[in-house]
Amino acid sequence: MITFSNVSLIYPHSTKTILEDLSFQIQEGEMVLVMGETGSGKSSLLRLINGLVPHHTGGILAGDISVDGISTRTVKPGSLAHLVGIVGQNPINGFVTDIVEEELAFSMEALNFAPDVMRKRVEEVLDLLSLSSLRNRSIATLSGGEQQRVAIGAALVMQPKVLVLDEPTSALDPIAAEEVLSVLHRLVHDLSVTVIIAEHRLERVIQFVDRIIYIEGNGETSIGSADEILKSSELVPPIVKLARALNLSEIGTSVREVRRATDEIRSHQYPLPVVAQKANSPAIEVTDVSHSYGEKVALNKVNTTIHHGEIVAIMGRNGAGKSTLLHSIVGLHTPQKGSISVNGQDPTELTGGARRQAIGYVPQEPSDLLFASSVEEECSHADRDNELEPGSTAALLNRLVPHISHNAHPNDLSEGQRLALVLSIVLAASPDVLVLDEPTRGLDYRAKSLFGLALKEYATQFNRPVLLATHDVELVAELADRVLFLAEGDIVADGTTLEVLLSSPAFAPQVAKIMSPKPWLTVSDVVQALGDVK
Amino acid sequence: MKTAGIFSFKGASLIALVATSAISALGFLWPFLINEKQGHPQWIFLLATPCALLLLMISVSNKELDSKSIALLAVLSALIAALRPMGTGAVGIEPMWFVLILAARVFGPSFGFLLGTISMFLSAILTGGLGPWVAYQSFAAGWIGIGVALIPKGLRGKSEVFALALYGIVAAEFFGIAMDLQFWPWALGSDTQLSYAAGAAFATNISHFISYHFLSSMAWDIPRAIFTASLIAMTAKPVLHTLRRAHTRAAFMTPIEFIERVKA
Repeated sequence: MITFSNVSLIYPHSTKTILEDLSFQIQEGEMVLVMGETGSGKSSLLRLINGLVPHHTGGILAGDISVDGISTRTVKPGSLAHLVGIVGQNPINGFVTDIVEEELAFSMEALNFAPDVMRKRVEEVLDLLSLSSLRNRSIATLSGGEQQRVAIGAALVMQPKVLVLDEPTSALDPIAAEEVLSVLHRLVHDLSVTVIIAEHRLERVIQFVDRIIYIEGNGETSIGSADEILKSSELVPPIVKLARALNLSEIGTSVREVRRATDEIRSHQYPLPVVAQKANSPAIEVTDVSHSYGEKVALNKVNTTIHHGEIVAIMGRNGAGKSTLLHSIVGLHTPQKGSISVNGQDPTELTGGARRQAIGYVPQEPSDLLFASSVEEECSHADRDNELEPGSTAALLNRLVPHISHNAHPNDLSEGQRLALVLSIVLAASPDVLVLDEPTRGLDYRAKSLFGLALKEYATQFNRPVLLATHDVELVAELADRVLFLAEGDIVADGTTLEVLLSSPAFAPQVAKIMSPKPWLTVSDVVQALGDVK
Repeated sequence: MKTAGIFSFKGASLIALVATSAISALGFLWPFLINEKQGHPQWIFLLATPCALLLLMISVSNKELDSKSIALLAVLSALIAALRPMGTGAVGIEPMWFVLILAARVFGPSFGFLLGTISMFLSAILTGGLGPWVAYQSFAAGWIGIGVALIPKGLRGKSEVFALALYGIVAAEFFGIAMDLQFWPWALGSDTQLSYAAGAAFATNISHFISYHFLSSMAWDIPRAIFTASLIAMTAKPVLHTLRRAHTRAAFMTPIEFIERVKA
């Protein structure tokens, strides 16, 4: 269906070759994962498939790409619209209309389809993606998973033979991600659609894919089945790390396979893990906080206390009230009922420097905090604001991610670099409390572990609390001491990471699913327990 | 081979622009040009101007706009159309001209012309003020967009902002005069010191018009000019920066090359 022969790409105003001499073939009805570190060229590869690169971006393309026998050299992307459907990372950026049905019909409308054909296709897609109950809903009111499904639907009405998705689950909670991936799985198996997907959270997708294209940092690219690639790759999900740590002969990609292989390990008795002493010096106190948007209750009498030196993760489905709770704590709005105190102060009354010093906040879209036109400018701004020696923020940034280009525009950085920049600006004020909203979306494993280290250091070195809302269970398992689980505005679970994650099947990390009922969340937990026995 | 460029008038569409602009200019200026008392020329122009606008749009939309220009045009004209009613329009405070002028500066006069006409038309639909005058307003806004070409291309920094603010004043006054010209023959009846006197001498009419303009609309034009110029002065730096970045990111006229192999 798709053939790349000796493809290399050089963008305009650049001398770096993005992909080098890449050749592969993808058959009809295959599901292929493109993986690689941020900035390695995954998105470029996806956009090469429908000709957006180089027809819209310019650049030098060597070699040839053909989709269903049509070379992308000879036709404009518009002429491939019926063949290749493309779904972007952030579906909301791609929507043109307000209502689900209208959105589905839009592309057909633009190509002047007959009304009865449109009617029929919209119905088919609504059924296929189980969207019929949402057909008259306004898109803005849908959850992240539903929006992503609508975006896939909008691509599917053209009945493309190839569907290309750029990180379709990065903004979704585990349940919504599962929803989207099973829809894709169904498209591949029932309709023989060819699916190409780029994703950082390998633990979510590898069980569904047939083959993997791995773009390594040095320009090398390897293609093969999941087992072949993951055996030697640097970027691996926890499930493969576990297999490596236990020296299993076969690398499994699904929980079921690895569970069978580790039967013996689970049959032994192990000493219970030592639970760390609970800290008891309140930093953030939330008392009876309620908040609602019109009819919708976002928070319902929430009570909780965050202690010094604690890393607390707030989890829950999209729309469970996580962001509202964080907004209340950082003082972005005053809750309708109840009160919040951060180290004895009301967060809404703080202003200017005192506020930066009291609360560090990294919003969901980190670039919202960036306004200067270069990294250097942002850093020197932060120095001035916090009366630091010139260069302090830049030094901090350099420690988080070395080799960042200081003249780059903040919006041209990769997700990981941008997050590091925002984090160093926020940390430059050395805030008493650190609050982060969904910080790891779009980060690869390496950036994520660097980021985790920085947070841990902040929490232990200064004995200050860190509060983060996230969907990333693997991150929570590695990082958090305590988990608050929100549902419909209520805290439904509050306990140590171990207790909360083990008790919920959907939010359990991969290692816990494999090792259940043993109380282990991460690979290092397992290794440690095994070591203790020996 | 290159990626598509930003829209510009050339060939057939340039001829269409010149011809339709000329018709529309006659639509504005006819009271001075016809000095014999005859029929009702205003009716002809009231029909001709919207037709000219329609013709121009058809000729442009044929196939000269590529998807990137359309996207930019759509987003910017929606923004401008939404900004216009925000100032309530009272005493000429319409916070739309600064965006139009700055966008025309970055994306070029041809794009500025289209942006002006389309956003004017769109805002008329939004505010429900649809009528024959919309075509006049659209042409006037389009000319303001195309007139940005008067500012030298190489100008940057403070002198650029100054030139743009100055242009804002000129544009605001130009729009005021144009709207008065369009309305004047219809207003006031025919027997005051300020009215259009059909068949009278050129000098009489021009002096009538000037008095009419100063009396009736300086209260609108001066605030509009001050408001537009100060908005430009205040927002030019960040807005130009953002628009220029969009221009770079859109990669207009970037070379595309297809080769067999990258040399080792």
